[in-house]
Amino acid sequence: MNSGTPLAMSFSSTRNRIALIAGLTVLALGGNLLGLVLGAPEGLLPLPALPLSIPIILASYWYPRRGILFSVCLAAIYAVTVFLLSPSAPLFALTILPRAIFLVLVGGVVALLATRLRESEQQMNQIIEFLPDATFAIDREGKVIAWNRAIEEMTGLQKDTMLGRGDYEYAVPFYDERRPLLADRILQGDPEAGYPSVRREGGVFISEIHTPHLRSGRGSHIRLAATALLDRNGKVAGAIESIRDVSDEVMMEAALQNASRQLNTLSGILRTDLANRLAVLYGHLSVGVMKFDDPEVLSFIDDLHEAANGIRRQIEISREFRDIGTSPPAWIPVQETIRNAAAGLSFGPVSLQAWTERLEVFADPHLATVFTHLFENALDPATGVTRIVVTYQLRPDGCAIIVEDDGTGIPNEEKEKLFVQNAEGYGHGLFLAHEILAITGIAIRETGTFGTGARFEILVPSEGCRIV
Amino acid sequence: MTTIALPEIEADEVRPKVRELTSAEFPAANEVWRDYHGVIGDPGWDRVFAAFLSGRIVSLARCRRHPDGSMEVDGVFTPGAFRGRGYAHMVMNALVVACHNDDLYMYAVESLAGFYAEFGFISIPERDLPPPIRERYVWAAGNMEGAEVRPMFRRAGL
Repeated sequence: MNSGTPLAMSFSSTRNRIALIAGLTVLALGGNLLGLVLGAPEGLLPLPALPLSIPIILASYWYPRRGILFSVCLAAIYAVTVFLLSPSAPLFALTILPRAIFLVLVGGVVALLATRLRESEQQMNQIIEFLPDATFAIDREGKVIAWNRAIEEMTGLQKDTMLGRGDYEYAVPFYDERRPLLADRILQGDPEAGYPSVRREGGVFISEIHTPHLRSGRGSHIRLAATALLDRNGKVAGAIESIRDVSDEVMMEAALQNASRQLNTLSGILRTDLANRLAVLYGHLSVGVMKFDDPEVLSFIDDLHEAANGIRRQIEISREFRDIGTSPPAWIPVQETIRNAAAGLSFGPVSLQAWTERLEVFADPHLATVFTHLFENALDPATGVTRIVVTYQLRPDGCAIIVEDDGTGIPNEEKEKLFVQNAEGYGHGLFLAHEILAITGIAIRETGTFGTGARFEILVPSEGCRIV
Repeated sequence: MTTIALPEIEADEVRPKVRELTSAEFPAANEVWRDYHGVIGDPGWDRVFAAFLSGRIVSLARCRRHPDGSMEVDGVFTPGAFRGRGYAHMVMNALVVACHNDDLYMYAVESLAGFYAEFGFISIPERDLPPPIRERYVWAAGNMEGAEVRPMFRRAGL
């Protein structure tokens, strides 16, 4: 990538760089030679090597592989000329040698650092090059400094033709005109201008648009994600933008929404018809209770009434299932939710104790439905439950809300099937409970012992529970 | 607490209501505990259960979670004017049910060991207490009788 500094731009060509190095070398060596020939003061002997380090640093930085050789040669020339032209004195050679070694070391260190820098830049370029998303980067002046393979494929414009281009030329494949892209808006400090519903995730700005110019004019839905490139002082030095074609996702989503709407319409019609028929059935049953007084017939009517209640519950579950996931999850106070769930049920002689004050969980707003179904199962007269207790336990991996009772419990062989969608499971509503909880990563399992009562553990991950 | 079909609590206003305190109510509990070793509740670590009569706290009990996860029961206190009416029993019952998923430990006042035994607490050697709980009575150097306390333990479960 270009550094963008004036110095780097001025000496970006090989010819200029070599000329500069050669000029500085001649100046430094010439200065030394002149000093020796004209006779430098004795205090200055041997002549300082520092001026020679400047061409060595430049040569080693720009040409790391030849930097050490260059510094060795220059150090040797310095040592030989100074040794030969200086007045001979004991130990004089020993003072020249460290200076020559210093020059070689300077060249070596700079060459090593420059090599590392090149490798790092190379790796960064490789990463950008092979990103699956179409990606480009621009510098502070809006000139292209990176243009990867994926964006070549998306736009048909090759990297070689785009690098260094500015004036919004990179926008042409998307808009058929030169105009600022999201990356430019970031440089201008106003990412939300000109783009619909820009959202921010950390330091990344994301937006989605439809452009009619991609895919050979067939158009594409594209998702743009752009972020600022910062220099080491934290100042914006450029911006990078990734572009993903999400046309297939958008079309799939639209198709699913259509299908979902049709299914909801159909199930709504069926529910209404079923509810109407059920109302007629309840009417007949009520008349039957008044018309007959034979205990056997009344018992039979009772059974029919129970069956009708079951159908009514199925209708309600179907309605609830339609609604789950339609509202965003939220932090929900558990105690209040349990209270609401219990309010709609008849507990008769069964006691309910809930000790979940201060506990909040991040869940679908239909969390109350989960407790409703758990309580309904416990309240089935066949279970023999007299007491339901709801508590919670903080665990290393989160929190468990525990709903337990003193009924007969769940046989081991039935536990695995409890939350699976099947005719019986769906009837119990536990599949629905499982689905509601799963929306925010909450699990549910049954851990009770058959014969001593059912025990449902609702396992909330750490990030989804808090004590307030 | 949500209580359904518990007429002895709901119907009779003379009987207190027992529930867990919210964080905002901790200062009220601290005020009551002022006469009981100056116990201070910390919403970050403690669950505090209280009996309320006409909106006033008449009995308290605390369950503290220590950093190692061990749970200690303490701060069981009923102000003198309200003693002898079973309020502490109600509050302890609530605590034991609410915290029954964990093993519970405590230093019981020697004379109240029988009271705690009603809730399933049994006497244990002091060395069986988790270290953070044992630290409280390090000064007694193992002389529990001298300190008039008894280490007790209740296994998790309803």
